[in-house]
Amino acid sequence: MDGLVRELRNVVGEAGCLVRPEELAVYQCDGLTCHRADPVAVVFPRSRVEVQRVIRACRAAGTPFVPRGAGTGLSGGALAEGAVVIECSRMKRILEIDTANRTARVEPGIPNAEVSKAVAPHGLHYAPDPSSQLVCTIGGNVAENSGGPHTLKYGTTTNHVLALELVLPDGECVELGSPTGWASGYDLVGAVVGSEGTLGVVTAATVRLVPLPEGVETLLGIFPDVVSACRAVGGIIEAGMVPAALEIVDQRTIAAVEASVYAAGLPTDAGAVLLVELDGAAVALAAQVERVRAIAAGAGATAVEVARDEAERQRFWRARKGAFGAMGRLAPDLYVHDAVVPRSRLPEVLERICAIGDRYGLKLSNVFHAGDGNLHPNISFDRRDPDELRRVFAAGAEILELCVAAGGVITGEHGIGNEKRDFMRLVFGDDDLDAMHRLRDVFDPDHLCNPGKVLPTPRFCVEANPKARGYDRVGFE
Amino acid sequence: MSAEQMLAPLAETLGPGALEHHDPVSVDGVSVRATLHPRDGRALAQMLAEMGRHGIAGLPRGGGTRLGIGNRPARADVLISTRKLRGVDTFEPAEGVCHAGAGTPLAELRDIVRAQRWELPFDVADAAATLGGALASAAVGPRTQGYGLPRDVVLGLEVVLATGERTRCGGRVVKNVTGYDLGKLYTGCFGTLGVIEGAWLRLRPAPERVALLEAPGAEIAPACEGGLEAARRSSVRACALLCDAGAALRCVVELAGDAASVERDVHWLSDRLRAVPAPADALLRVQRRQCGTQGPHELRFRLGVLPAQLSAATQQLAAEGARILAYPGLNLVYAHFALAEADDLEGAARAFRSAAAVASPGALLCEAAPEAVKRGRDVFSGDPALLPLMRALKQRFDPAAVLNPGRFAGGI
Repeated sequence: MDGLVRELRNVVGEAGCLVRPEELAVYQCDGLTCHRADPVAVVFPRSRVEVQRVIRACRAAGTPFVPRGAGTGLSGGALAEGAVVIECSRMKRILEIDTANRTARVEPGIPNAEVSKAVAPHGLHYAPDPSSQLVCTIGGNVAENSGGPHTLKYGTTTNHVLALELVLPDGECVELGSPTGWASGYDLVGAVVGSEGTLGVVTAATVRLVPLPEGVETLLGIFPDVVSACRAVGGIIEAGMVPAALEIVDQRTIAAVEASVYAAGLPTDAGAVLLVELDGAAVALAAQVERVRAIAAGAGATAVEVARDEAERQRFWRARKGAFGAMGRLAPDLYVHDAVVPRSRLPEVLERICAIGDRYGLKLSNVFHAGDGNLHPNISFDRRDPDELRRVFAAGAEILELCVAAGGVITGEHGIGNEKRDFMRLVFGDDDLDAMHRLRDVFDPDHLCNPGKVLPTPRFCVEANPKARGYDRVGFE
Repeated sequence: MSAEQMLAPLAETLGPGALEHHDPVSVDGVSVRATLHPRDGRALAQMLAEMGRHGIAGLPRGGGTRLGIGNRPARADVLISTRKLRGVDTFEPAEGVCHAGAGTPLAELRDIVRAQRWELPFDVADAAATLGGALASAAVGPRTQGYGLPRDVVLGLEVVLATGERTRCGGRVVKNVTGYDLGKLYTGCFGTLGVIEGAWLRLRPAPERVALLEAPGAEIAPACEGGLEAARRSSVRACALLCDAGAALRCVVELAGDAASVERDVHWLSDRLRAVPAPADALLRVQRRQCGTQGPHELRFRLGVLPAQLSAATQQLAAEGARILAYPGLNLVYAHFALAEADDLEGAARAFRSAAAVASPGALLCEAAPEAVKRGRDVFSGDPALLPLMRALKQRFDPAAVLNPGRFAGGI
């Protein structure tokens, strides 16, 4: 290992290579803090060439490597047990803004929000907006195919990435896709986006820019319960409207938010609030606001407010965006779960999710992207309590089984990572997984690039039920 | 060994009705005299496994409307028809999603969802076109600007791999990052990795109002500028620029959405481009022009062109005698070059050079050409540096080269 570290220091310099345990401790986990593992080193390359040299050094030493953005991932995708972390924060330049063609070419370490900020003077923005957009990076977004509250209308990362510069796990570099969106051959950009850093290291991305909306209207509906809020969501969709965002915050979350610094003035006795954001041509918005208001009232809303100005809009969004921060008051740790169900199944699934949380004696609350059925059951817990931790994982597993049984899937935007790889069998059979292995093997036949993520191991494992694999075997403290 | 002898063991295994012998069908000069008709996914899987075992090469076929796109087959023993994989088995208006078999004609699917005020987001006019064919060939049309690309419409796929496994990827929900996005690989792979059996699709709500307009001909530069501006209006879902050799550039625009936005953009188009209401079939004629050729001796190219290069590219192509159809909102140009004769190889080489000179790197496909022109030529122009990866994918998914051998980029 000393030889590898020497070589890594040759490439990225002394200051660009961390190896001391106290330095590496920061990189033991990503946003999923209950899964931890020790990397052997963390390197901070400054260029594509340095990434290539780092990868070649790792290959020569037979040491795996793991690309990492800001570490905001929530599925343990950046866990690097015995691996070298390739940290992209020094590669954060905007290489080109092409307003005529509405594209930007950026390095992977640039924070998501910085792209939109840079192009805003041109009336443009980069649409995918994960909740962590102030810090999460474009490289991380590409790896996770990140979404966000506004993906109901604008789509996820895969709909906005046109081309990628990718260093393959053998150290070679390829350019995938085309700024036009038209490239001959297999859609390799489509395959790489969302591959969780297992097919190579992205060193530049060409992304699509879209115009800032001409007008925005934000509504906040107060409902007696989640069921009626979900009914309003269904009504809006069935009316043929495509709002920019449709977000629901449940009663337990409202209580936490209102007791925190994020308090938005919501009635704490409300069963749920529904946040609706409409954007588009200014001439059309007034009529749409009235339609949403009528649908919400018909679904049982006790009040519907429309933001009068930007300050009020921000207040409404605080109820949604402050939810995760507010949970910090309830317990030291937060497990942000992620699953998707068909929209029409939301009410019954939510009821059962809450029942699961209650049965395990957990503090469970829900904030979710209701428009696309993307649930985020949040479990507040203390990872120092082994029994509570076991209950958290057991409840999480039941929630995933419930969502799959309802026609859904086990992740809508956080990815599989290390967290859910053994749950892949809830959704896919051996042949389905084998097809994914074929893709993986083409890019990374030696499985050195972010190993142990996405796909369950060993291949063709006879244990169809992940419960049998034991939740106490994950690498938490 | 004759094709009939080669197919005999397959006919025996698959039972009566599965193999149809017929008059030769020519695919770029390669005659195919038999078609397999799997009745379901299981039969399709069995067929492909048997084909691999016996070294038989097959060409998947939906409605046959885009069978001519691609390189000349390296081998073609049999067509694999998806005709019997037909039907819409799930349509959930409350969710805006549906599931249909690959052999379902798009027209049938379109009618079913339209009855519940949803739109099928595939803009393919040909009545024979099927869902599987449109996905496998990533078929687009002018409304793709508003609908989204086929890759973005698919929620999940069932695909029978060339090695005979029935697989699934994606799902039925509108947001999903569960595992690798293999649906992106299969969409547009021209059936070289597997045969699509069925698909979950995300539908689009039917618009409150639709308006179709056309603007009179103009010089290329101002017309391209106007077309780009038009394509960027919020309610525009289709914008086509048409230019016949030496003539002015006409613009056809379809607007769709809420009444207020459409109304506003109609006024804008009237003021800015002097647009007037267009005949009801104006967009249909655009679609036919996109997919057709004038006579047997025409080459049809699909070029990816960035907006900033649209005007220069159009001028250059027009100066070299091409008929042009451009979709400025899609970064797409179709250029048709007439050849003197089917074997006018010099003229064809000139046309290829002209198209390559203006297309963005790696973004050129010759969709239609006489067989003589296709011989020994790769109609896809991709980055050669990517061929090792693509060949490795083909090798892993189709090691016996059962599906569409030779027809894809780089002769894959």
